[in-house]
Amino acid sequence: MKKTCFTLLAVLLAPIASIAAPDAPIVVCYPGGSVNAKDANAAMGSMLRVVERVGQWQAGSLNSVFTAKADECRKLMDDKNPKFAIASLGIFLEQRDRHHLVPVVQPTINGITTERYRVIVQKGKFNSLEELKGKTLGGTVLDAPGFIGKIVFAGKYHPESFFQLQASNQAIRALRSLDKGEIDAVILNEQQFNGLASLNLTNPIETLFTSEDIPLMGMVADGKNSTAEERTRLGNALAGMCTDAEGKKLCELFGVDSFALVNPATFEPMVKLWKKGK
Amino acid sequence: MSYKSLLSAVLLPLILTGCAALPRDQVKFDQLSDCPKLTADKLVAVQNELGPMSETHTLACAVDFLRSSKDPTLRRSALGSRLCLNLAERETNQDRREKLAGEGVAFAGTAIASGGDGDGAVHYYLAANLGLAVREHLTLAMDNMKRLEGEMIKALALSPDIDDGGPLRLLGTLYIKAPEWPNGIGDRDKGFSLLQQAVKKFPNHPLNHLFYAEAILAIDDGGAAERAKAEFVLGEQLLAKGNWGYSKPSWEKEFDDLRDAIGVESVTSSHASMANTHK
Repeated sequence: MKKTCFTLLAVLLAPIASIAAPDAPIVVCYPGGSVNAKDANAAMGSMLRVVERVGQWQAGSLNSVFTAKADECRKLMDDKNPKFAIASLGIFLEQRDRHHLVPVVQPTINGITTERYRVIVQKGKFNSLEELKGKTLGGTVLDAPGFIGKIVFAGKYHPESFFQLQASNQAIRALRSLDKGEIDAVILNEQQFNGLASLNLTNPIETLFTSEDIPLMGMVADGKNSTAEERTRLGNALAGMCTDAEGKKLCELFGVDSFALVNPATFEPMVKLWKKGK
Repeated sequence: MSYKSLLSAVLLPLILTGCAALPRDQVKFDQLSDCPKLTADKLVAVQNELGPMSETHTLACAVDFLRSSKDPTLRRSALGSRLCLNLAERETNQDRREKLAGEGVAFAGTAIASGGDGDGAVHYYLAANLGLAVREHLTLAMDNMKRLEGEMIKALALSPDIDDGGPLRLLGTLYIKAPEWPNGIGDRDKGFSLLQQAVKKFPNHPLNHLFYAEAILAIDDGGAAERAKAEFVLGEQLLAKGNWGYSKPSWEKEFDDLRDAIGVESVTSSHASMANTHK
Protein backbone atom coordinates (compact mmCIF):
# COMPACT_ATOMS: atom_id res chain seq x y z
CA MET A 1 0.00 0.00 0.00
CA LYS A 2 1.30 3.42 -0.76
CA LYS A 3 2.61 4.94 2.42
CA THR A 4 1.43 8.51 2.10
CA CYS A 5 -1.85 7.53 0.64
CA PHE A 6 -2.20 4.97 3.36
CA THR A 7 -2.15 7.67 6.03
CA LEU A 8 -4.89 9.55 4.28
CA LEU A 9 -6.89 6.39 3.86
CA ALA A 10 -6.40 5.69 7.51
CA VAL A 11 -7.96 9.00 8.43
CA LEU A 12 -10.68 8.57 5.87
CA LEU A 13 -11.63 5.06 6.80
CA ALA A 14 -11.42 5.17 10.56
CA PRO A 15 -14.87 6.59 11.30
CA ILE A 16 -16.56 4.45 8.72
CA ALA A 17 -15.23 1.32 10.28
CA SER A 18 -16.46 2.45 13.63
CA ILE A 19 -20.03 2.35 12.36
CA ALA A 20 -19.78 -1.38 11.91
CA ALA A 21 -17.98 -1.88 15.17
CA PRO A 22 -18.86 0.91 17.56
CA ASP A 23 -17.73 -1.09 20.58
CA ALA A 24 -14.26 -1.95 19.28
CA PRO A 25 -11.35 0.33 18.48
CA ILE A 26 -10.10 0.29 14.94
CA VAL A 27 -6.43 -0.49 14.86
CA VAL A 28 -4.68 1.74 12.38
CA CYS A 29 -1.14 0.69 11.57
CA TYR A 30 1.18 2.95 9.62
CA PRO A 31 4.65 1.52 10.18
CA GLY A 32 7.48 3.72 9.00
CA GLY A 33 5.12 6.57 8.38
CA SER A 34 5.78 10.20 8.99
CA VAL A 35 2.61 11.01 10.88
CA ASN A 36 2.87 11.24 14.62
CA ALA A 37 0.29 9.38 16.64
CA LYS A 38 -0.96 12.51 18.37
CA ASP A 39 -1.78 14.26 15.11
CA ALA A 40 -3.25 11.14 13.56
CA ASN A 41 -5.43 10.44 16.57
CA ALA A 42 -6.54 14.05 16.68
CA ALA A 43 -7.56 13.95 13.02
CA MET A 44 -9.37 10.68 13.44
CA GLY A 45 -10.92 11.82 16.69
CA SER A 46 -12.41 14.91 15.13
CA MET A 47 -14.01 12.77 12.44
CA LEU A 48 -15.23 10.21 14.95
CA ARG A 49 -16.96 12.92 16.95
CA VAL A 50 -19.00 13.81 13.89
CA VAL A 51 -19.87 10.18 13.35
CA GLU A 52 -21.02 9.91 16.95
CA ARG A 53 -23.14 13.02 16.80
CA VAL A 54 -24.89 12.16 13.56
CA GLY A 55 -25.09 8.45 14.27
CA GLN A 56 -26.54 9.27 17.70
CA TRP A 57 -23.91 7.36 19.57
CA GLN A 58 -22.77 8.58 22.92
CA ALA A 59 -19.99 11.13 22.58
CA GLY A 60 -16.63 9.48 22.93
CA SER A 61 -17.96 5.96 22.43
CA LEU A 62 -16.17 5.44 19.12
CA ASN A 63 -12.45 5.27 18.96
CA SER A 64 -9.45 4.17 17.02
CA VAL A 65 -5.87 3.51 17.92
CA PHE A 66 -3.03 4.56 15.69
CA THR A 67 0.59 3.61 15.54
CA ALA A 68 3.46 4.33 13.21
CA LYS A 69 5.60 1.59 14.73
CA ALA A 70 5.55 -1.97 13.45
CA ASP A 71 6.18 -3.50 16.87
CA GLU A 72 3.44 -1.44 18.41
CA CYS A 73 1.10 -2.48 15.62
CA ARG A 74 1.69 -6.15 16.35
CA LYS A 75 1.08 -5.54 20.02
CA LEU A 76 -2.09 -3.57 19.36
CA MET A 77 -3.41 -6.30 17.11
CA ASP A 78 -2.76 -8.82 19.88
CA ASP A 79 -4.06 -6.67 22.72
CA LYS A 80 -7.12 -5.14 21.08
CA ASN A 81 -8.08 -8.08 18.91
CA PRO A 82 -9.89 -5.67 16.58
CA LYS A 83 -12.72 -6.56 14.26
CA PHE A 84 -11.33 -4.21 11.65
CA ALA A 85 -7.94 -2.76 10.91
CA ILE A 86 -6.48 -0.40 8.41
CA ALA A 87 -3.25 -2.01 7.44
CA SER A 88 -0.63 -2.07 4.74
CA LEU A 89 -0.32 -5.09 2.51
CA GLY A 90 2.84 -6.02 4.39
CA ILE A 91 1.05 -5.99 7.75
CA PHE A 92 -1.85 -7.93 6.26
CA LEU A 93 0.46 -10.66 4.96
CA GLU A 94 2.44 -10.81 8.17
CA GLN A 95 -0.57 -10.89 10.51
CA ARG A 96 -2.94 -12.79 8.24
CA ASP A 97 -2.74 -16.19 9.89
CA ARG A 98 -2.40 -14.93 13.43
CA HIS A 99 -5.50 -12.73 13.24
CA HIS A 100 -7.49 -14.53 10.53
CA LEU A 101 -7.36 -11.42 8.41
CA VAL A 102 -9.50 -11.08 5.32
CA PRO A 103 -9.49 -8.09 2.96
CA VAL A 104 -12.72 -6.08 3.06
CA VAL A 105 -12.36 -3.18 0.67
CA GLN A 106 -9.77 -2.00 -1.77
CA PRO A 107 -9.27 1.56 -2.99
CA THR A 108 -8.93 2.65 -6.58
CA ILE A 109 -6.43 5.44 -7.06
CA ASN A 110 -5.85 7.13 -10.40
CA GLY A 111 -8.05 4.52 -12.02
CA ILE A 112 -6.16 1.46 -10.83
CA THR A 113 -6.26 -0.90 -7.86
CA THR A 114 -2.61 -1.87 -8.07
CA GLU A 115 0.72 -0.17 -7.76
CA ARG A 116 4.29 -0.79 -8.74
CA TYR A 117 7.44 -0.15 -6.80
CA ARG A 118 10.51 1.22 -8.51
CA VAL A 119 14.20 1.53 -7.72
CA ILE A 120 15.65 4.73 -9.11
CA VAL A 121 19.23 5.96 -9.41
CA GLN A 122 21.05 8.97 -10.80
CA LYS A 123 21.06 8.61 -14.56
CA GLY A 124 24.08 6.85 -15.99
CA LYS A 125 25.54 5.68 -12.68
CA PHE A 126 24.30 2.09 -12.77
CA ASN A 127 23.08 -0.16 -15.54
CA SER A 128 21.21 -2.86 -13.65
CA LEU A 129 19.92 -3.78 -10.24
CA GLU A 130 22.74 -6.31 -9.91
CA GLU A 131 25.23 -3.43 -9.98
CA LEU A 132 23.59 -2.10 -6.83
CA LYS A 133 24.78 -5.08 -4.80
CA GLY A 134 26.37 -3.74 -1.62
CA LYS A 135 25.29 -0.19 -2.46
CA THR A 136 23.10 2.10 -0.37
CA LEU A 137 19.36 1.98 -0.91
CA GLY A 138 17.08 4.55 0.73
CA GLY A 139 13.33 4.99 0.94
CA THR A 140 10.35 5.01 3.23
CA VAL A 141 9.21 1.49 2.44
CA LEU A 142 12.31 -0.15 3.83
CA ASP A 143 10.89 -0.52 7.31
CA ALA A 144 9.27 -3.70 5.99
CA PRO A 145 12.20 -5.52 4.35
CA GLY A 146 10.26 -8.79 4.40
CA PHE A 147 7.57 -7.28 2.24
CA ILE A 148 10.10 -5.68 -0.10
CA GLY A 149 12.04 -8.89 -0.50
CA LYS A 150 9.18 -11.37 -0.83
CA ILE A 151 6.63 -9.24 -2.66
CA VAL A 152 8.30 -6.30 -4.38
CA PHE A 153 11.39 -8.22 -5.48
CA ALA A 154 9.33 -11.46 -5.69
CA GLY A 155 11.96 -13.28 -3.65
CA LYS A 156 14.80 -12.54 -6.09
CA TYR A 157 16.67 -10.17 -3.82
CA HIS A 158 16.92 -10.12 -0.07
CA PRO A 159 17.12 -6.41 0.67
CA GLU A 160 18.92 -6.69 3.98
CA SER A 161 21.80 -8.70 2.55
CA PHE A 162 21.83 -7.35 -1.01
CA PHE A 163 21.83 -3.63 -0.22
CA GLN A 164 23.00 -1.37 2.55
CA LEU A 165 19.59 -0.19 3.67
CA GLN A 166 19.08 3.39 4.76
CA ALA A 167 15.45 3.53 5.80
CA SER A 168 13.92 6.96 6.10
CA ASN A 169 10.53 8.16 7.17
CA GLN A 170 10.71 10.96 4.62
CA ALA A 171 10.70 10.14 0.94
CA ILE A 172 11.77 13.65 0.09
CA ARG A 173 14.87 13.34 2.27
CA ALA A 174 15.88 10.08 0.61
CA LEU A 175 15.49 11.71 -2.80
CA ARG A 176 17.55 14.72 -1.78
CA SER A 177 20.26 12.36 -0.57
CA LEU A 178 20.14 10.57 -3.92
CA ASP A 179 20.37 13.89 -5.73
CA LYS A 180 23.43 14.87 -3.69
CA GLY A 181 25.05 11.50 -4.32
CA GLU A 182 24.94 10.60 -0.63
CA ILE A 183 23.11 7.35 -1.38
CA ASP A 184 23.10 5.22 -4.52
CA ALA A 185 19.44 4.37 -5.02
CA VAL A 186 15.95 4.98 -3.69
CA ILE A 187 12.96 2.67 -3.72
CA LEU A 188 9.65 4.42 -4.33
CA ASN A 189 6.02 3.40 -4.32
CA GLU A 190 3.70 4.40 -7.15
CA GLN A 191 2.52 7.62 -5.60
CA GLN A 192 6.04 8.78 -4.80
CA PHE A 193 7.25 7.86 -8.27
CA ASN A 194 4.39 9.79 -9.89
CA GLY A 195 5.23 12.80 -7.73
CA LEU A 196 8.85 13.02 -8.88
CA ALA A 197 8.01 15.60 -11.53
CA SER A 198 7.01 18.07 -8.82
CA LEU A 199 10.46 17.93 -7.24
CA ASN A 200 13.23 20.09 -8.53
CA LEU A 201 16.03 17.55 -8.41
CA THR A 202 19.31 18.79 -9.82
CA ASN A 203 20.37 15.54 -11.45
CA PRO A 204 18.30 13.44 -13.84
CA ILE A 205 17.23 10.05 -12.56
CA GLU A 206 16.34 6.75 -14.19
CA THR A 207 14.50 3.60 -13.18
CA LEU A 208 16.55 0.42 -12.72
CA PHE A 209 13.78 -1.82 -11.45
CA THR A 210 9.99 -1.91 -11.71
CA SER A 211 7.99 -4.45 -9.73
CA GLU A 212 5.01 -6.41 -10.96
CA ASP A 213 1.58 -5.01 -10.19
CA ILE A 214 0.87 -5.26 -6.47
CA PRO A 215 -2.72 -4.89 -5.26
CA LEU A 216 -3.57 -1.92 -3.07
CA MET A 217 -4.78 -2.77 0.39
CA GLY A 218 -7.49 -0.83 2.22
CA MET A 219 -9.27 -2.33 5.18
CA VAL A 220 -9.04 -5.82 6.60
CA ALA A 221 -11.18 -7.68 9.11
CA ASP A 222 -10.63 -10.47 11.56
CA GLY A 223 -12.62 -13.21 9.87
CA LYS A 224 -13.39 -14.92 13.15
CA ASN A 225 -14.00 -11.86 15.30
CA SER A 226 -16.32 -10.13 12.81
CA THR A 227 -19.38 -11.54 11.14
CA ALA A 228 -19.84 -11.90 7.40
CA GLU A 229 -22.77 -9.51 7.65
CA GLU A 230 -20.67 -6.83 9.32
CA ARG A 231 -18.01 -7.15 6.66
CA THR A 232 -20.48 -7.06 3.81
CA ARG A 233 -22.43 -4.13 5.17
CA LEU A 234 -19.28 -2.18 5.85
CA GLY A 235 -17.90 -3.06 2.45
CA ASN A 236 -21.07 -1.99 0.70
CA ALA A 237 -21.10 1.27 2.58
CA LEU A 238 -17.56 2.04 1.57
CA ALA A 239 -18.23 1.00 -2.01
CA GLY A 240 -21.00 3.58 -2.24
CA MET A 241 -19.12 6.34 -0.56
CA CYS A 242 -17.25 7.94 -3.43
CA THR A 243 -20.28 7.98 -5.73
CA ASP A 244 -22.38 9.52 -3.01
CA ALA A 245 -22.70 13.27 -3.50
CA GLU A 246 -21.51 14.05 0.02
CA GLY A 247 -18.85 11.40 0.29
CA LYS A 248 -17.32 12.38 -3.04
CA LYS A 249 -15.71 15.46 -1.55
CA LEU A 250 -13.81 13.45 1.03
CA CYS A 251 -12.70 10.90 -1.54
CA GLU A 252 -11.39 13.71 -3.73
CA LEU A 253 -9.63 15.25 -0.79
CA PHE A 254 -7.74 12.05 -0.15
CA GLY A 255 -7.10 11.23 -3.79
CA VAL A 256 -9.22 8.07 -3.81
CA ASP A 257 -11.40 7.42 -6.86
CA SER A 258 -13.52 4.79 -5.16
CA PHE A 259 -13.64 1.85 -2.81
CA ALA A 260 -14.79 -1.58 -3.87
CA LEU A 261 -15.57 -4.79 -2.11
CA VAL A 262 -12.61 -6.96 -2.75
CA ASN A 263 -12.52 -10.62 -3.64
CA PRO A 264 -9.96 -12.18 -1.30
CA ALA A 265 -8.68 -14.10 -4.32
CA THR A 266 -7.16 -10.83 -5.50
CA PHE A 267 -4.55 -11.18 -2.80
CA GLU A 268 -3.91 -14.91 -3.24
CA PRO A 269 -0.87 -14.41 -5.49
CA MET A 270 0.59 -12.14 -2.81
CA VAL A 271 -0.12 -14.70 -0.10
CA LYS A 272 1.61 -17.37 -2.20
CA LEU A 273 4.63 -15.15 -2.79
CA TRP A 274 4.79 -14.36 0.89
CA LYS A 275 4.66 -18.01 1.90
CA LYS A 276 7.15 -18.98 -0.78
CA GLY A 277 9.59 -16.46 0.64
CA LYS A 278 9.56 -18.05 4.08
CA MET B 1 -31.55 3.16 7.68
CA SER B 2 -29.23 1.66 5.12
CA TYR B 3 -25.51 2.01 5.51
CA LYS B 4 -25.37 4.10 2.40
CA SER B 5 -27.83 6.67 3.68
CA LEU B 6 -26.27 6.51 7.11
CA LEU B 7 -22.91 7.27 5.62
CA SER B 8 -24.37 10.19 3.75
CA ALA B 9 -25.85 11.50 6.92
CA VAL B 10 -22.57 11.00 8.73
CA LEU B 11 -20.42 12.66 6.15
CA LEU B 12 -22.66 15.55 5.19
CA PRO B 13 -22.20 17.63 8.33
CA LEU B 14 -18.47 17.06 8.24
CA ILE B 15 -18.29 18.25 4.68
CA LEU B 16 -20.61 21.14 5.26
CA THR B 17 -18.71 22.32 8.30
CA GLY B 18 -15.32 21.15 7.11
CA CYS B 19 -15.32 22.61 3.65
CA ALA B 20 -17.41 25.69 4.23
CA ALA B 21 -15.81 29.09 4.44
CA LEU B 22 -14.34 30.39 7.65
CA PRO B 23 -16.80 31.52 10.34
CA ARG B 24 -18.30 34.86 9.44
CA ASP B 25 -20.36 35.53 12.54
CA GLN B 26 -18.86 38.05 14.87
CA VAL B 27 -18.52 37.35 18.55
CA LYS B 28 -20.76 39.57 20.66
CA PHE B 29 -18.73 41.29 23.35
CA ASP B 30 -20.13 42.05 26.79
CA GLN B 31 -20.30 45.41 28.48
CA LEU B 32 -19.45 47.47 25.46
CA SER B 33 -21.34 50.33 27.04
CA ASP B 34 -18.48 50.57 29.52
CA CYS B 35 -15.93 51.17 26.75
CA PRO B 36 -14.06 54.45 26.76
CA LYS B 37 -14.84 56.82 23.91
CA LEU B 38 -12.46 55.86 21.13
CA THR B 39 -11.45 57.72 18.00
CA ALA B 40 -9.26 56.55 15.15
CA ASP B 41 -6.50 58.92 16.21
CA LYS B 42 -6.62 57.71 19.81
CA LEU B 43 -6.50 54.08 18.74
CA VAL B 44 -3.62 54.67 16.35
CA ALA B 45 -1.77 56.41 19.17
CA VAL B 46 -2.16 53.55 21.63
CA GLN B 47 -2.08 50.60 19.23
CA ASN B 48 1.34 49.39 20.33
CA GLU B 49 0.18 49.26 23.93
CA LEU B 50 -2.60 46.83 23.05
CA GLY B 51 -1.65 43.19 23.15
CA PRO B 52 -1.24 40.14 25.36
CA MET B 53 -0.92 42.27 28.50
CA SER B 54 -4.14 44.19 27.86
CA GLU B 55 -7.37 43.38 29.62
CA THR B 56 -9.83 41.45 27.50
CA HIS B 57 -12.41 44.20 27.82
CA THR B 58 -9.92 46.77 26.52
CA LEU B 59 -9.20 44.65 23.45
CA ALA B 60 -12.90 43.98 22.89
CA CYS B 61 -13.60 47.71 22.94
CA ALA B 62 -10.88 48.30 20.37
CA VAL B 63 -12.12 45.51 18.09
CA ASP B 64 -15.67 46.78 18.38
CA PHE B 65 -14.50 50.22 17.30
CA LEU B 66 -12.51 48.76 14.40
CA ARG B 67 -15.53 46.84 13.14
CA SER B 68 -17.19 50.04 12.04
CA SER B 69 -14.16 52.24 11.47
CA LYS B 70 -13.61 53.64 7.99
CA ASP B 71 -10.30 55.20 8.91
CA PRO B 72 -7.87 54.32 6.10
CA THR B 73 -4.84 54.04 8.38
CA LEU B 74 -6.59 51.56 10.64
CA ARG B 75 -8.17 49.64 7.77
CA ARG B 76 -4.84 48.92 6.08
CA SER B 77 -3.07 48.08 9.33
CA ALA B 78 -2.64 44.71 11.04
CA LEU B 79 -4.19 46.03 14.24
CA GLY B 80 -7.64 44.45 13.93
CA SER B 81 -6.20 41.11 12.96
CA ARG B 82 -3.64 41.22 15.76
CA LEU B 83 -6.21 42.09 18.43
CA CYS B 84 -8.51 39.33 17.22
CA LEU B 85 -5.62 36.89 17.56
CA ASN B 86 -4.93 38.13 21.09
CA LEU B 87 -8.59 37.62 21.98
CA ALA B 88 -8.84 34.27 20.20
CA GLU B 89 -5.76 32.92 21.96
CA ARG B 90 -7.25 33.55 25.38
CA GLU B 91 -10.73 32.30 24.47
CA THR B 92 -11.47 28.83 25.86
CA ASN B 93 -14.73 28.31 23.97
CA GLN B 94 -13.87 26.78 20.59
CA ASP B 95 -16.76 28.35 18.71
CA ARG B 96 -15.97 31.85 19.96
CA ARG B 97 -12.25 31.28 19.40
CA GLU B 98 -12.80 30.31 15.80
CA LYS B 99 -15.14 33.22 15.20
CA LEU B 100 -12.56 35.64 16.58
CA ALA B 101 -9.84 34.05 14.46
CA GLY B 102 -12.12 34.17 11.42
CA GLU B 103 -12.70 37.86 12.05
CA GLY B 104 -8.95 38.31 12.33
CA VAL B 105 -8.58 36.81 8.86
CA ALA B 106 -11.27 39.17 7.59
CA PHE B 107 -9.55 42.21 9.13
CA ALA B 108 -6.30 41.19 7.43
CA GLY B 109 -8.13 40.69 4.13
CA THR B 110 -9.51 44.21 4.42
CA ALA B 111 -6.03 45.52 5.22
CA ILE B 112 -4.57 43.89 2.12
CA ALA B 113 -7.39 45.24 -0.04
CA SER B 114 -6.85 48.69 1.47
CA GLY B 115 -3.15 48.92 0.59
CA GLY B 116 -1.56 46.93 3.41
CA ASP B 117 -0.20 44.19 1.18
CA GLY B 118 3.38 45.31 1.77
CA ASP B 119 3.05 45.03 5.54
CA GLY B 120 4.45 41.73 6.78
CA ALA B 121 2.44 42.01 10.00
CA VAL B 122 -0.80 41.87 8.01
CA HIS B 123 0.23 38.60 6.39
CA TYR B 124 1.59 37.23 9.65
CA TYR B 125 -1.58 37.85 11.63
CA LEU B 126 -3.69 36.64 8.75
CA ALA B 127 -1.80 33.36 8.77
CA ALA B 128 -1.85 33.03 12.56
CA ASN B 129 -5.60 33.63 12.70
CA LEU B 130 -6.24 31.34 9.77
CA GLY B 131 -4.26 28.57 11.42
CA LEU B 132 -6.21 28.99 14.63
CA ALA B 133 -9.54 28.99 12.78
CA VAL B 134 -8.89 25.76 10.87
CA ARG B 135 -6.74 23.69 13.19
CA GLU B 136 -9.65 21.63 14.57
CA HIS B 137 -11.18 21.00 11.12
CA LEU B 138 -9.40 18.53 8.90
CA THR B 139 -10.94 19.37 5.55
CA LEU B 140 -10.96 23.09 6.20
CA ALA B 141 -7.29 22.92 7.12
CA MET B 142 -6.51 20.95 3.96
CA ASP B 143 -8.43 23.45 1.85
CA ASN B 144 -6.46 26.34 3.33
CA MET B 145 -3.00 24.76 3.34
CA LYS B 146 -1.65 26.63 0.32
CA ARG B 147 -3.08 29.93 1.52
CA LEU B 148 -1.48 29.43 4.92
CA GLU B 149 1.86 28.71 3.32
CA GLY B 150 1.61 31.69 0.97
CA GLU B 151 0.76 34.15 3.74
CA MET B 152 3.53 32.84 5.97
CA ILE B 153 6.08 33.06 3.18
CA LYS B 154 5.09 36.68 2.56
CA ALA B 155 5.29 37.46 6.28
CA LEU B 156 8.72 35.87 6.48
CA ALA B 157 9.97 37.85 3.50
CA LEU B 158 8.57 41.17 4.72
CA SER B 159 8.84 41.00 8.51
CA PRO B 160 10.91 38.05 9.67
CA ASP B 161 11.46 39.51 13.15
CA ILE B 162 7.88 40.16 14.09
CA ASP B 163 6.65 38.47 17.26
CA ASP B 164 10.09 37.06 18.09
CA GLY B 165 10.42 35.16 14.83
CA GLY B 166 6.72 34.43 14.45
CA PRO B 167 6.89 33.84 10.67
CA LEU B 168 9.77 31.38 11.11
CA ARG B 169 7.87 29.66 13.91
CA LEU B 170 4.59 29.38 12.02
CA LEU B 171 6.02 28.38 8.66
CA GLY B 172 8.38 25.89 10.25
CA THR B 173 5.56 24.30 12.18
CA LEU B 174 3.35 24.19 9.09
CA TYR B 175 6.01 22.23 7.21
CA ILE B 176 6.36 19.86 10.17
CA LYS B 177 2.63 19.24 10.52
CA ALA B 178 1.31 19.31 6.96
CA PRO B 179 0.86 16.16 4.87
CA GLU B 180 4.15 15.42 3.20
CA TRP B 181 5.24 15.19 -0.40
CA PRO B 182 3.87 13.94 -2.71
CA ASN B 183 0.43 14.58 -1.19
CA GLY B 184 1.04 17.86 0.53
CA ILE B 185 3.38 20.73 1.28
CA GLY B 186 4.83 19.09 4.40
CA ASP B 187 8.62 18.98 4.47
CA ARG B 188 10.12 18.19 7.84
CA ASP B 189 13.69 19.01 6.88
CA LYS B 190 12.58 22.45 5.76
CA GLY B 191 10.45 22.89 8.87
CA PHE B 192 13.30 21.82 11.13
CA SER B 193 15.65 24.31 9.49
CA LEU B 194 13.21 27.21 9.94
CA LEU B 195 12.57 26.37 13.58
CA GLN B 196 16.28 26.01 14.21
CA GLN B 197 16.71 29.54 12.87
CA ALA B 198 13.84 30.73 15.08
CA VAL B 199 15.52 29.35 18.19
CA LYS B 200 18.93 30.76 17.26
CA LYS B 201 17.69 34.24 16.38
CA PHE B 202 14.96 34.52 18.99
CA PRO B 203 15.97 32.33 21.92
CA ASN B 204 13.74 34.09 24.45
CA HIS B 205 10.39 33.04 23.03
CA PRO B 206 9.05 29.88 24.73
CA LEU B 207 7.13 28.65 21.70
CA ASN B 208 10.24 28.73 19.52
CA HIS B 209 11.74 26.10 21.81
CA LEU B 210 8.54 24.10 22.06
CA PHE B 211 8.03 23.88 18.30
CA TYR B 212 11.71 23.20 17.75
CA ALA B 213 11.42 20.32 20.23
CA GLU B 214 8.56 18.95 18.16
CA ALA B 215 10.63 19.33 15.00
CA ILE B 216 13.53 17.46 16.59
CA LEU B 217 11.19 14.59 17.35
CA ALA B 218 9.74 14.68 13.84
CA ILE B 219 13.19 14.49 12.27
CA ASP B 220 14.44 11.92 14.75
CA ASP B 221 17.91 11.52 13.33
CA GLY B 222 19.45 10.10 16.47
CA GLY B 223 19.47 11.35 20.03
CA ALA B 224 16.20 13.08 19.34
CA ALA B 225 14.46 12.34 22.61
CA GLU B 226 17.07 13.97 24.82
CA ARG B 227 17.56 16.99 22.57
CA ALA B 228 13.81 17.50 22.28
CA LYS B 229 13.43 17.22 26.02
CA ALA B 230 16.13 19.82 26.61
CA GLU B 231 14.43 22.29 24.25
CA PHE B 232 11.07 21.61 25.83
CA VAL B 233 12.39 22.22 29.33
CA LEU B 234 14.15 25.41 28.25
CA GLY B 235 10.97 26.70 26.64
CA GLU B 236 8.90 25.84 29.67
CA GLN B 237 11.34 27.65 31.94
CA LEU B 238 11.10 30.75 29.77
CA LEU B 239 7.34 30.54 29.90
CA ALA B 240 7.31 30.18 33.67
CA LYS B 241 9.74 33.02 34.32
CA GLY B 242 8.57 35.54 31.74
CA ASN B 243 5.65 37.91 31.81
CA TRP B 244 3.60 36.68 28.87
CA GLY B 245 0.32 38.18 29.98
CA TYR B 246 -2.85 36.55 28.77
CA SER B 247 -0.90 34.42 26.27
CA LYS B 248 0.47 32.30 29.07
CA PRO B 249 -2.47 29.91 29.65
CA SER B 250 -2.85 29.02 25.98
CA TRP B 251 0.91 28.51 25.63
CA GLU B 252 0.92 26.33 28.72
CA LYS B 253 -1.70 24.21 27.00
CA GLU B 254 0.53 23.95 23.93
CA PHE B 255 3.30 22.66 26.18
CA ASP B 256 0.94 20.23 27.89
CA ASP B 257 -0.21 18.90 24.52
CA LEU B 258 3.35 17.84 23.70
CA ARG B 259 4.36 16.81 27.20
CA ASP B 260 3.64 13.09 26.86
CA ALA B 261 5.35 12.79 23.49
CA ILE B 262 8.44 14.50 24.92
CA GLY B 263 8.34 12.56 28.16
CA VAL B 264 8.54 15.50 30.53
CA GLU B 265 6.57 15.38 33.73
CA SER B 266 4.32 18.34 34.40
CA VAL B 267 5.34 20.71 37.14
CA THR B 268 2.13 19.90 39.04
CA SER B 269 2.58 16.15 38.86
CA SER B 270 6.26 16.39 39.65
CA HIS B 271 5.41 18.41 42.77
CA ALA B 272 2.79 15.84 43.70
CA SER B 273 5.32 13.11 43.15
CA MET B 274 7.86 14.90 45.36
CA ALA B 275 5.25 15.41 48.05
CA ASN B 276 4.44 11.71 48.01
CA THR B 277 8.10 10.87 48.25
CA HIS B 278 8.50 13.03 51.33
CA LYS B 279 5.55 11.49 53.13
